[in-house]
Formats: sequence, structure tokens, C-alpha cells
Amino acid sequence: MYDQFESPEPDEAVKLALRRIEESTARGEGSDVDGLAFNEVVVNMGPQHPSTHGVLRLVVTLDGELVKDVIPVIGYLHRCKEKLAEKRTYFQYIPIVDRTEYLASINCEWAYVMTVEKLAGMQVTRRAEFIRVITGELMRIASHLVAVGTFTADLSPLGTAMVFYMFRDREVILDLMEELTGARMMFNYYRFGGVRYDLPDGWTSKCRDFLKMFPAKIKEYEALVDTNAVFLQRTQGKGVITQQDVVDYGITGPNARASGVDLDLRRSRPYSVYPELDFEVVTAQHGDIFDRYRCRMDEMRESLRIIEQCLDMLPKGPVQLGSLRAPYVITPPPGSAYVGQENPRGEYGTYIESDGSRYPYRLKFRDPCFCNLQLFPKILSGVKIADAVAISGSIDLVLGGIDR
Amino acid sequence: MSERIKTARYPKLEHFSEPNVITTTADFIFSWARSHSVFPFTYGLACCAIEMLTSGFARYDIARYGMEVFRPTPRQCDLMIVAGTVNEKMAPVLKRLYDQMSEPKWVISMGACATSGGPFYDGYNVVNGVDKVVPVDVYIPGCPPRPEALFQGLLELQGKIQQYKFVPEKPAPLAADAPASDVAPATADAAPAGEV
Amino acid sequence: MGLQVGSNPMSMDAIAALLAERFAGDLEDVRIQEPDTIVARCAREKLLDVAARLKADADAGYETLNWIAGVDRRTSFESIYHLYSWKTNTWFELRVDVPRAEPEVDTVTGVWPAADWHERESWDMVGIVYVGHPDLRRILLKDDFVGHPLRKDYVDLAENHPHV
Repeated sequence: MYDQFESPEPDEAVKLALRRIEESTARGEGSDVDGLAFNEVVVNMGPQHPSTHGVLRLVVTLDGELVKDVIPVIGYLHRCKEKLAEKRTYFQYIPIVDRTEYLASINCEWAYVMTVEKLAGMQVTRRAEFIRVITGELMRIASHLVAVGTFTADLSPLGTAMVFYMFRDREVILDLMEELTGARMMFNYYRFGGVRYDLPDGWTSKCRDFLKMFPAKIKEYEALVDTNAVFLQRTQGKGVITQQDVVDYGITGPNARASGVDLDLRRSRPYSVYPELDFEVVTAQHGDIFDRYRCRMDEMRESLRIIEQCLDMLPKGPVQLGSLRAPYVITPPPGSAYVGQENPRGEYGTYIESDGSRYPYRLKFRDPCFCNLQLFPKILSGVKIADAVAISGSIDLVLGGIDR
Repeated sequence: MSERIKTARYPKLEHFSEPNVITTTADFIFSWARSHSVFPFTYGLACCAIEMLTSGFARYDIARYGMEVFRPTPRQCDLMIVAGTVNEKMAPVLKRLYDQMSEPKWVISMGACATSGGPFYDGYNVVNGVDKVVPVDVYIPGCPPRPEALFQGLLELQGKIQQYKFVPEKPAPLAADAPASDVAPATADAAPAGEV
Repeated sequence: MGLQVGSNPMSMDAIAALLAERFAGDLEDVRIQEPDTIVARCAREKLLDVAARLKADADAGYETLNWIAGVDRRTSFESIYHLYSWKTNTWFELRVDVPRAEPEVDTVTGVWPAADWHERESWDMVGIVYVGHPDLRRILLKDDFVGHPLRKDYVDLAENHPHV
């Protein structure tokens, strides 16, 4: 096929990087060293790379250690989800939506199920709404644990104990979810009009035990890194996302809130029973890596508050519409709907168009990481390569959602 | 045997009263060492990668099997665990990385997507199974497979590694009426060098 | 301080009336989709003008682009722009019809920088050409992929599957 010691043919992204070097050289910004036309080197990071959190490829133009330009190349996990939607019924598609943002899959299901309910004009039972909030917030905590854990693992490759502690506590959450839904990661739990299973006996007390145990763990994690001089030096003041960036690129989620933008879809476009719950939207001022880390840690605390309120307010009643089971085949009337939901990474939404048949006509995902990734060429230019790794870890990307 | 040890002339300590020499075959020693210290390659593509990651951490500890050394570069690995969907854009990269691993190397196909395309089998961009690109030794079903399922696959792989013959068998001597070949026939007791 | 959500809250009817008045003739079929989205159509020749004016509007400036979707309507294509207004905390869905024989529409990357990758994805999946885009190449599929998969008449070609 090819000789493994030969470089492959440069593809479009690498050709673009080389063209940009030529253009900048032609403009007179070439090398100041005698005998060299230009200083830059084009280096490929990925798609298999320990720090890119998935199959992301960054074609990086380096001048020594300084990153001049970054061209992200995605699509290495494109699984044709939007086309598959046209071949699966609405009900059959729920497990596939799970596999977009696989770290917080229940939130992805929530957005999809809410959109179909809006299209079909279905109500959700009240008990199911509370269960949805509880499971959504539990997975938000689990997702932030992985995000912050792998971010700190990036800063010093697996030399930090934090990722081990965080995954240990994530197992407790996954145990709760497994007892409820039967699965550790891809839950397939929400149904149109409710959820599949009711809470088993003793689940609420186990959940309350977790709520009692977890705040001390958050303090444990913070004690590991918050006062560490190296961590602070590597994260404060780096990778600043300005408020203009948030507006220009549609950044949402903790990345936007760390820049002081008070945008949380649970507040600004409330869905489910969030209007009845009391929680704060966590923001920070500077928009650097440290603030994004702090936002995620404080959001975990707010999620604990939300879960506690839901457990206290949990009403009795059915968890599904209808007598026996949620409907398997639904045919929403022709029309379109878009519902965005506050995923741990930002605004995750599905736009569904129905033509009255059992299969969607068009399904489009609005993925937060896709929009956040557009910012990479801007915030990664002009930093050292080590900072580039830290910044890309703090943005919290999940390639399943970017590539769909 | 133990009589000889007891009567031999050396200081008698308690633990010398038992045999302390192990006899084994080179095959067994090499395969025991190889199977219990496999270096996996961090080739997590999709959701199964998270379960692979979880199996490396505290509760499901992959270090029990000697496999906690996940190396990011293929040059230092024996085992490529393909965890996730392979698509047409990724397949050449996968083949390239597989070629960069040095022998002996093994591939585990983890999850339904790597085994056969999984829930995305009818996608226009999905390769239905990583065995269309690289040879696979162990298939682990599941979507995603639990860490325990991954460990069962790893134990199967350990069993497979232990069946390798690292010292090739001697070739049988040629029969008297065999046709003459155009290479010099090997003598009956020359052991060929090199490994399988 | 700085960017605020909902600094100029208005009711949906008021916004719809405002837009119908300011964009009379350019925006057709302005209607409200409950609870907080305005949907309107626009002709593709007027897209750039309408987009710039929507962004710069003093009362309900739609400053953020949420997503762009390309849809194949069998007889034509449609490019859907989903916009967000910080001042009124409402959304706007702008639909532009694109003829199938000549699937070209102006790019809005000059108005909203976020449109860059969304338009590339729409080109990649549906095949709508965004005229003036700085770098219109495939984003999710491999560079030598043939065809546009989200078209309704897309047939899975063998040359897209070297690894069968």
C-alpha cells in the first residue's frame, strides 16, 4: 500500500498550512535567520494523540515553540448520524443520540426527546420531569469530573492523583445510574412523555448518601491543585476567551460563563422544572483556563443543590404517559422544532423536521463543542505549544458531538 | 533429588530443603513474560475509549493484569485496542499506526462498532468492522463493553499469547526418495535461528 | 458587567411587529413559533443585506449565529440560519430558498464569524455553495469523498468505500 517510512501525501489541511506560510513569507514576514526562507514547521498533532481528547487532528504551524497557526481537522469520527436519522424511527433513534456526546449522554437524549415532544405536542408527567432533572444533573457532575480530570492529566501526564480520585467518584454516580437504567454510559432511558423506569426502592436514600459524601470530595480535589504554584502559573492568564468571542462564535456553557457572560439555558430559556428550582449560575471574570476550571468545580456544587431540591420535591405519580408503556411509533405532524438544552459543554440542541411519517425528514444537531472548536485558531495562536495543550484541554471537547 | 540436596555440602538453611530450581521451556517463559506485561496502545476513538480509560483507573484496575502502561506511540506497544467506530477517514491512519507497531503485535477489537460497525453499520462513512483494515485477535462485544468484559477479552488474549511458539520446531528430515530441491537441504539437527 | 442576557425584554408580538415594519418587503412570512422564536423567509439575493441589518438592529440585534443547516427539499434546497438576540433573549430562524439547479447563496461569514464552519458543513453534507466563503472545503468527510450525503438522492458510491 505504501512505505511506512515515507511521509504521506499532504492533504488539504497541510497544503493550506503550507500555503499560509508561503503567503506570510511573500509578505515579508519570513525568517530573520540567514539562509532560511521561513522559520515555521508544520507539525501534525493527532488524530491519535494522548492530549487531543479524541480523534481531533491539529495541523500546527510552529515557530520554535510558538504556535503560529492551528488548523483543526475533524471528521475522523463522523458516523453519519444525521443521515441515519432518516432511516430510523423516532423511537429507534434514541440510543443513537446517546452516542453523540458520550460523556453526558443523558443530556443529549433530553434535548432530542424534548424536541420530539414539542413537535408532537406531548406533555411529560411531573414525576418524570423531576427524575429527568436528577439524572441530568448527576451526569453533569460525572461529565465535569471527566473533563477536569483529563484536563489535569494533560497538564502533567497522569502524574496527578486528581484524575484517579475523580474517576473513583464517578463510579459512584455510574453505579446509581446503572441501578436506575441498567447501563453505565449509554442509558437509552428517556422516552417521549416520560422515562422508562421508575426509581427503584432505596435509590433516593443512596442518592442522598452520595450528596452527603460528595462535597468533601470536591474539597479534596481543590486541595490538590488550587494552591499549586505550577498549576496556577500554567492556567492563570492563559487562553482568554473574550466576551466578543462569545458573541462572535456562539460559545456557550462553562466556557462562556467563565468570561463573565451570564448565559445558562436553564435560566434564560428554562425547560422542564428548572423554573421551580433555586440555583445560581456560576460565572467568573477573566475567561482564562483557571476560571473555566473553577466554573466547572462550582457547577458541580450547584448540581448537588439542584438534586437535593428535586429529591425533596419529588411527587408521586406515573413516569410515563399512557397506561403501560411509552409509545413506540409516533408520527408527529408536519413541522419543525428546535430545542436547545444546557449540556455540560454548552447549548446542545436538535432541530427536527417532520413530514408526518414515522421517520424524521431532517435532523440536525447543534453541538456546543463544534462551535467551541471554531475558536481554536484564534486562541491558540501566539502561545507556546505547552499552553496550547492546556488550553485545548480546558475547552472540554468531545469528538462524538463534533463529528456526529 | 531432595536427598542429594540434603547431603550436599553447603550451609543448611530451612528454605534450601526444598527444590529451588525451576525447569521449563523457553516457549513458556517467553509467553508468560509477554502475556503478563502487554503494553496497550491508546487507540480510543469513541465512547468505548471512556470505558477503556475507566478500566485503567481505581475501581477496575488494569494494572492487575500488567497492562497499565498505555503508551501513546505505536513504536512502544504490543497491543492495539481499537475502541470505537472506524470510519473511512480514519482507516488509513489506523493501518499506518498498525504498521508502525513492531512484531509481535496483537489487536483487540473492542465494542460493537469496531467488531462490525455497530449501531452505525449502514452509515455511508463507516467501516463495518476494524478487521477489514487490520487482523484482529480478540473481539469484545458490547456497546460499550463493561470494563469486566474488556478484562475477559484481555484474559483471552493472554491465553492466545501463551500459545505462541517462540522457538520454532526443527524441520523434519527429508525422506530418501524426496525430489531434490534447488536449495541446499537443511541438515537434520541444525536449528533455524530467529523467531516466529 | 459587559454582555447581558435580556437587557431589552420585549414580547414576541412586539418583536414580530418591529421586524415586519423594519424589514417590510425583505422578510416574508414573519411568524412566531412558540415560545420564543420568530421564523421568517428571505430571498437569497437579499440575504447579505438582511443579515447585516438583523445583526445591527438597535432593539433586537441578532448578534450571535447559533447554527446553519442545509436541507434538501427535493425540488430545491434550503439554508436555515438560527440566530440569537442577547438584548431580547429570543431566537430567529431565517430560511433562504436555494434553487437546486444552481445551489449558490452568499456567505454570511462577514456578518457572523461563526458561520465559517457551519457553512462548510452545509456544503459538505448538502452541497450548497456559499459564494465568498474564505475556505470552502470538506469538513467532516474525507477530502476526496464524492457526493453530498444528506441529499435525498444520494446513493452510496463504491468509490467512497475503499475499505468495504
